[in-house]
Amino acid sequence: MSPPTTQTPGSTELADPATRPGRNPGWWTPYAFLGPGVALVTVIMIYPVFYGVWLSLNETNPFTGVTSFVGVQQYLDLFAQAQFQNALRQSLILVAGTVILGITVSMSFALILDKAPRGSGVIRAMILVPWLISGIAVATIWRAIFSPTGGFADTVLIFFGIDPITWFSSGFWSMSVIILVSIWSISPFSTLIIYAGLKTVNLEMYEAASIDGAGFFATFRFVTLPSIAPQLALALVFLSFAAFNSFDIILLATGGGPGRSTEVLALLLYRIGFEQLDFNAGAAVMVVLLLINLVLSAFYLRLLPREEDGA
Amino acid sequence: MSDHRDSSIMDTLRLIQKRYLIWLPLAVILAWTTIPLLWSFASSFKTRSDFAQVPPPFFPEEPTLSGYSRVLGDAGFWVFTRNSFVIASVSTLIAVALSAITAYGFARYAFKWRHVLLLFILLPRLVPRISLIVPVYEIVRSVGLLNTHLALIIVYTGSAIPLATWIMIGFVGAIPKELDEAAKVDGANSWQVFRRIVLPLTIPGLLTIGVLAFRDAWNEFPFALALTNSPEVRTLPYQLFLFRDSLGVADYGLIQAFTILSILPILLIYLRLEKHVVSGLTSGAVK
Repeated sequence: MSPPTTQTPGSTELADPATRPGRNPGWWTPYAFLGPGVALVTVIMIYPVFYGVWLSLNETNPFTGVTSFVGVQQYLDLFAQAQFQNALRQSLILVAGTVILGITVSMSFALILDKAPRGSGVIRAMILVPWLISGIAVATIWRAIFSPTGGFADTVLIFFGIDPITWFSSGFWSMSVIILVSIWSISPFSTLIIYAGLKTVNLEMYEAASIDGAGFFATFRFVTLPSIAPQLALALVFLSFAAFNSFDIILLATGGGPGRSTEVLALLLYRIGFEQLDFNAGAAVMVVLLLINLVLSAFYLRLLPREEDGA
Repeated sequence: MSDHRDSSIMDTLRLIQKRYLIWLPLAVILAWTTIPLLWSFASSFKTRSDFAQVPPPFFPEEPTLSGYSRVLGDAGFWVFTRNSFVIASVSTLIAVALSAITAYGFARYAFKWRHVLLLFILLPRLVPRISLIVPVYEIVRSVGLLNTHLALIIVYTGSAIPLATWIMIGFVGAIPKELDEAAKVDGANSWQVFRRIVLPLTIPGLLTIGVLAFRDAWNEFPFALALTNSPEVRTLPYQLFLFRDSLGVADYGLIQAFTILSILPILLIYLRLEKHVVSGLTSGAVK
């Protein structure tokens, strides 16, 4: 960790005071530095996870207020519920749609921006803007765009001679709109991740490929793609994480409807916890949500090529 | 001869293609990004009759400032704006300070449990805020902080620290350790080294995590929804959400004006600091 300090032997101790705890009076210095931050994160994010797990293993009687340990009963009830199965299905549709289309959009945009000439800095700055806006504002804007009264979507459809569609009365169109809006709002960040990756590709490899007569697709497949694999995996993790945990946009744009056609797990969690006031079942949904997040992240990170040369 | 001329025309065409054709896809990107925002902005000047037309016009026929004057003339709007500003600024300041200090500890010291403690910073990044609303609500209720700014400030600060610390570890790590050592030889203690030597050199990093934390807090909705309910503590996103039900006949002009006003502050902050944020994100967050 510490660089060699051979030239000034007297400073070795000062350079790394905590490598020998107990002997050095300053061994507690690093703990003092990170104590407050780690403590706050523990209270706000780590303790609630364990508290949620505990809640999910109990059942509080709403009438007597008596809490009793029920083991995995909450989970068994949950998985048997049609509403939960539906939410799981809708979440997977949302994640699949957003990730597949989102990564395509991000990749295309990043490739275009990478080729962008001087003077296009404004465009590069602008693309991040949708990602800066609150999910509630994003949903308000897009809900109005797809509104049957005065929405911009109708303007476009009528321009092309197509009859207006009442988007939010169809489950299929509602989910499609949610996927479109999610991509608009979150893909700027995955675009930035991939764009940063493209900037690290060795230019000599492009030259070599072009000397070998490789076309656009061959170059992309054999030079670009392997070079940006880490950023691609990160972009996938980000997209699926953001889509899977999307709440604000859906709650405002469709409220989970029509019917339950856009009621994803995050929405179900809120419904069960704060509308049905069943905190124990809500906590069980939380645990399922966290586990799926972990599994998804692990899945994408497996796509990362192992760096065998130890670089 | 003709061969030569042909190839020079081809070269010119290729040059034109290379130089100008790229602007076409760039224009598509710009349109995809900005048209929804421009439509919202244009709609914020519309009257009800604009929304009743078929096909609906993109621009207002007779632009009106009525939406803005009603939003800005409403005392509630200023209360929500102040609440959002107080909560976002305070939580950002604390989160930036704590993250910088924490990152310095991790980046500069080898100590027992370093890897375990680092997990305390890394693992929460896999925990989405929405998932925690039930246990956090129970915890906040049990300490009697429901419906207070303090609850939101603490929650926003705590949930901003993991990513901010991670980014800052990168920034601190990029500063040569010899600087610390030289200062220590001169008699500075650890805090003075951090405060006087390292911190001033990480200002781009501080700006990056500051914008990120402010964006998160300014936009946050699930916790505001779960932990607050009265108008005195309400934030802007919460009020925007309530417009969904509160107006019988949706007053789109007013709603779009409110939307534009609520995204203006974060937009201005970003445009002011864009260079730092983009380079900070690409070098730090992306790893």
